[in-house]
Amino acid sequence: MTKISIVTDSTADLDAGWAKRYNIRVVPAFVNFGAESFADDGVALTRPDFYSRLAAAPELPTTAAPPPGLTEQIFREALDEADHVVAISLAKTLSGIYDGMLLAARNIGEDKCTVIDSGSLSMGVGWQVLAAAEAAANGADLKTILSIIDDTRSRLKVYAAFDTFEYLRRGGRVSRLTAGVGSLLQIKPVVSLSGGNVDLLNRVRTFKKIYPEMAQLVTDQAPLERLAVMHTNARDRAEHLLGLVQHIAPPDQTVITEATTAIGTQIGPGAIGVALIRARS
Amino acid sequence: MTNDKCLTCNGKQLKAMAMAGLQWLESHYQRVNELNVFPVPDGDTGTNMLLTMRNATKEVAEMEPRGAGNTAAQMAHGAMMGSRGNSGTILSQLWIGFARTLGEAETFDASLMVEAMRQATETAYRGVQRAVEGTILTVAREMTEEAEELVPTISDLRELLTRIVDRGWDTVRRTPEMLPVLKEAGVVDSGGTGLMYILEGMLRHINGEPVTTGALYAEASELAPEYEGGQLQHPGENFYDVQFVIKGPNLNSAAIKSAMESMGESAVVVATADAIKVHVHVNNPGVPLTYAANIGQLSDLVVENMLEQYEAFVRQRQPQEPEDFTLRQVNPGDIATIAVAPGPGIAKVFQELGVSGLVNGGQTNNPSVEEFLTAIQAVDTDKIILLPNNKNIVLTAQQVATLVEDRQVLVIPTRTVPEGVSAMVAYQPDGDFDAVIQAMSLSRDEVVTGEVTTATRSVELDGIKVTEGQIIGLLEGTLCAVGDSLPHVAASLLQEAELDEMELVTLYYGSDIDAPAAEALAMSLAEEYPELEFEVVYGGQPYYPYILSIE
Repeated sequence: MTKISIVTDSTADLDAGWAKRYNIRVVPAFVNFGAESFADDGVALTRPDFYSRLAAAPELPTTAAPPPGLTEQIFREALDEADHVVAISLAKTLSGIYDGMLLAARNIGEDKCTVIDSGSLSMGVGWQVLAAAEAAANGADLKTILSIIDDTRSRLKVYAAFDTFEYLRRGGRVSRLTAGVGSLLQIKPVVSLSGGNVDLLNRVRTFKKIYPEMAQLVTDQAPLERLAVMHTNARDRAEHLLGLVQHIAPPDQTVITEATTAIGTQIGPGAIGVALIRARS
Repeated sequence: MTNDKCLTCNGKQLKAMAMAGLQWLESHYQRVNELNVFPVPDGDTGTNMLLTMRNATKEVAEMEPRGAGNTAAQMAHGAMMGSRGNSGTILSQLWIGFARTLGEAETFDASLMVEAMRQATETAYRGVQRAVEGTILTVAREMTEEAEELVPTISDLRELLTRIVDRGWDTVRRTPEMLPVLKEAGVVDSGGTGLMYILEGMLRHINGEPVTTGALYAEASELAPEYEGGQLQHPGENFYDVQFVIKGPNLNSAAIKSAMESMGESAVVVATADAIKVHVHVNNPGVPLTYAANIGQLSDLVVENMLEQYEAFVRQRQPQEPEDFTLRQVNPGDIATIAVAPGPGIAKVFQELGVSGLVNGGQTNNPSVEEFLTAIQAVDTDKIILLPNNKNIVLTAQQVATLVEDRQVLVIPTRTVPEGVSAMVAYQPDGDFDAVIQAMSLSRDEVVTGEVTTATRSVELDGIKVTEGQIIGLLEGTLCAVGDSLPHVAASLLQEAELDEMELVTLYYGSDIDAPAAEALAMSLAEEYPELEFEVVYGGQPYYPYILSIE
């Protein structure tokens, strides 16, 4: 029987407990403050340290794709214990991590590695990874695992609302949004992320208006199989949102996740998001 | 190293060159960051290449000197394991390809170096999914092509590297011609520039020139002077960029340098074994060329008119400016909005929020039915929303709506600019008409408007006595504050407002207020109300020094 190991990157926001339980390996992105570079693994720079640095830093941090050698090394470690690696990356439209994984796969042998563009971010990747890891643990073969990832993604919805557009504007990865948001007024965009595309759903000017918007978006997708509420240094906001959708939150399959520092770098503090998997109809 | 020919390079020398490349990049990485507009406007290419080079050289810094091949392999490994970002990945691939060719070689000569460059370029091209020309890849490839052409006749590594570095910078300068995004942004490619700083640092080391920051910064930067801070600068009076090589016996580079400095500016003089490369900006190219022809033999002559380049750049930038104020073009069937704006700043805000038509007007300047109709005619759709943004204009707008028969024209009776802005924030061009109207109306209801103006006559209203010429504050149209100073009345106005659920106050400042005064007012209000966020926006409206949006 072919044994399959699952690899993802740090922006999947996979809970450390799950990673350990399913032996999922995580390639870190990197966060650079000036010429200082930290692996986005929650250890080199903890989330609280990151946000206090963010508040104090003269120049804002940037994110960087990991070195290809590191990705390759992590793939090889996975292959020490398995026959095949399935690597699920952050949307390739948002990062070079996917390209780095392809490069590693090519160096090792494409018959041994399958690299998948999740088209998503944070727990939008995380749920795909978890579904794949559960299937792998149950002994599923490559084909089955790939189809489970596809099926999960087809039922995935990711929404986010940002406290400020400044980080996204500066990051330049969502230039399509810029026209809709402008630069004169403070606008808090509510967006969806699907197939690697970030689309503007709504604009609001105050956070109090975000909650009903987001709650409605989630409620419209019920019944749910899984629900993650994500945040960047704003746990109270995430809890508030979860309170509004508690009645449709699937018991035991609902989590609150603090997004990783690489995501915090790109979107800034105070953002909330949801990644949900609709129940099979 | 001095002026002797150098025919081979050993591990120790390669290590020293790489360290020099790192240092020279370190002196310039911020400049590389500034060039980075693609794909990320807030540049980090310089930082990522610097981190990658640091990791590469860290591997060999502490090591006992070894052969060139092993040294290169160590650095390749360090780059591979420690690169950052896409530019770092490509740099690591260059090192890997280079090291692969050297293998176990103790030293390399010119022909082995060229072979290694070819392998480096190929590896880097293979390392990306889609190779894009006009990037670091092109710079690496064209330098390799140059080297391949030269190596049959040039065996001196110093001379070879000099020529390669020249060619590389030349390629960097041409990257905007190859990659439209660079041209649009008015920058050269950042990754290619970073690579050139590394190689130029190596060359400086061979030439015995310093590679640390300081006075040299200015000197070296002249090799890519046309793009400063990511923008093409006006070249000034010395707008001819002249470059040439002088060959001949007994050339004195210091004397040449001081002669060049007296003729123009930005003089760079780089001496190699038997030639001197000169780069200078002058207003008459004949002067340095005549001088040079008198002391030696001239070659590799380049004269560029930077003024022409600058003018071309400006011409190409200009068409983008009017776009700044284009109104949203709606698709037939979509919903369009037309807003009344009492000042240019407010018009700009509405434009940015996506209105398809603007009607100038406001207090004491109510637009006519005809002005509305003209704006409606100009919009190519049959679903139109009017935002009057003044209580005295609501009726006119409603009248207009009844006059237009061939299209659906609806009015959201916004009585103030903040109401109109708030409604507009909820606008969706392709939504269901009724649903969009409803969302916009709801959004309008959630904002409170404050206005600060001057009393035009003495009156007693709602128990408040006002003398003509005093400053008054109105909250939702009701007089609630009076005083003699703008900041004082603005503060009293906020005191009267119900702020419990409020998060944000926007100050639109009028045509008679300057930005610093508005900023100062916002600062003092923010101190008083730390739980609220304040933003200052130029409105340009007459009569009302401040319009406050509270939400």
